[in-house]
Amino acid sequence: MVGLSVGETNFIRGGIAQDLRCDGRKRLSYRPIHIDTGVIPQANGSARVRIGGTDVIASVKAELGRPNSAQPGKGKVSIHIDCSATAAPIFQGKGGEALSTELAADLQRCLLGGKSGAGAGIDLSSLSIVEGKVCWDLYLDGLVVSSDGNMLDALGAAIKAALSNTGLPKVNVIAADATSSGDQPEVDVSDEEFLQFDTSAVPVIVTLTKVGKHYIVDATEEEESQMSSAMSISINRKGLICGLTKRGGAGVDPSIVLDMISVAKNVSENFINVLDSEIAAAEAREEE
Amino acid sequence: MSSRAGTTPSTYSPSTQKKKPQKPTFNDSNGVRSDGRGFYQCRPAYLKTGAVSAAGGSAYAEFGNTKVIVSVFGPRESKKAMMYSNVGRLNCSVSYTPFATQVRGQGSEHKEYSSVLHKALEGAILLESFPKTTVDVFALVMESGGSDLPVIISCASLALADAGIMMYDLVAAVSLSCVGPSLVIDPVLEEERWQDGSLMLTYMPCRSEVTQLAVNGEWTTPKIHEGMELCLDACKKLAGIMRSCLKEEADSPSIQ
Repeated sequence: MVGLSVGETNFIRGGIAQDLRCDGRKRLSYRPIHIDTGVIPQANGSARVRIGGTDVIASVKAELGRPNSAQPGKGKVSIHIDCSATAAPIFQGKGGEALSTELAADLQRCLLGGKSGAGAGIDLSSLSIVEGKVCWDLYLDGLVVSSDGNMLDALGAAIKAALSNTGLPKVNVIAADATSSGDQPEVDVSDEEFLQFDTSAVPVIVTLTKVGKHYIVDATEEEESQMSSAMSISINRKGLICGLTKRGGAGVDPSIVLDMISVAKNVSENFINVLDSEIAAAEAREEE
Repeated sequence: MSSRAGTTPSTYSPSTQKKKPQKPTFNDSNGVRSDGRGFYQCRPAYLKTGAVSAAGGSAYAEFGNTKVIVSVFGPRESKKAMMYSNVGRLNCSVSYTPFATQVRGQGSEHKEYSSVLHKALEGAILLESFPKTTVDVFALVMESGGSDLPVIISCASLALADAGIMMYDLVAAVSLSCVGPSLVIDPVLEEERWQDGSLMLTYMPCRSEVTQLAVNGEWTTPKIHEGMELCLDACKKLAGIMRSCLKEEADSPSIQ
């Protein structure tokens, strides 16, 4: 919780109205983004993303599992977010839990697409190994290390970076014949060959925070405390909207919703490019 | 357009603008869905307030096979452990009966539904009118027949009105599925299973405010425009039905 005096509140709101925010940014510009990949050796892929004072880590763990009987040709992905009490005292106990589940649900909506798999950032059928028998289960875990606003965008970026850092071991099916129907086929997980993950379809999340009449991207915690509502929109490279969710109690006019969508679309183009070059730079640094 | 005032049970459907349903690639041909509705036609809505006598306010909603009861308790004193707050608190909880779904006890996503319900309603309620206290909203899905969440939200706002909680406006909610190239409003369970994308909108018609909007799947901007327009129109009509339900209740002499 941030306690702000009336003066500070007015300063923040006034700054946003005049397109000059407290840290000198314009309404639609981001804080500097810093990405490190491969920060967790035990995971199949991981990344740490820092946007200003917000610091998050995402890791990808892959395990062999059985596909869902309803979708035999697809793997499974689950997203779990942890808001650690080390980041802020309000995350202790239940306070963090509520926020964690909300963030996880929003990320799921924004990254995993519709029921039929349209608009999914991760192609679930690419995770299948033997149809109906063996598939990859991806566990995406996010950790909020320190929070200074804009957590959803940061987590989305971290997951994108972690996925592009992910190498899934090549799996050779040894005995997958019809003779042993019902049994799990024998598989051999290679520890030398790894398959790179295609992350070009993973969307980015752009959160527009509405303060007064204007909206800003990448709000800090102080600015978030002044918001009336916020709209998180996930957009992929093709400019298609993959998910949308609204936070904050205050209602907004339908025309403003549409305007926010088009603003987010413009912002996202730039953001995707920045992220991609940061991820590429991080990968290059890791290889050195 | 099938909705004409006076017919029972009342239906509502958004006006099909210039766009006629395009050649459907979905189930049947000529724009008819499995249950006989057109693409832009909602299920018949039955709403009733005062379903639970012990609650401060309650409502029952039946949209096709989706049946929901919502009870509202309070405002009552917030739990001692909670911090002082000069605005009221809203506590929402959604649960499914074990027999609500086809496979027993598979009612999913309660936690997410509860939080969306909370976000959809908090913008409509004058929380400052009951400081230091909590209003509890409990929703129970008795039968899940598709579009559960919008039905829960509409029913909950009716129950809040029945409980006399001060609100800016009734919140009406409608969802829409994108199946292939076509949009179908108020989808049933079967359609939700095959959907490529979904859009849910909750709206306060008198203030013209969207309180919650949730989209998933893959959407182009024009399609979002179209979907939102359809939902807005349906919300307005649904709010009319909700309003007349409340009026009826107020006019009818109470049976005691």
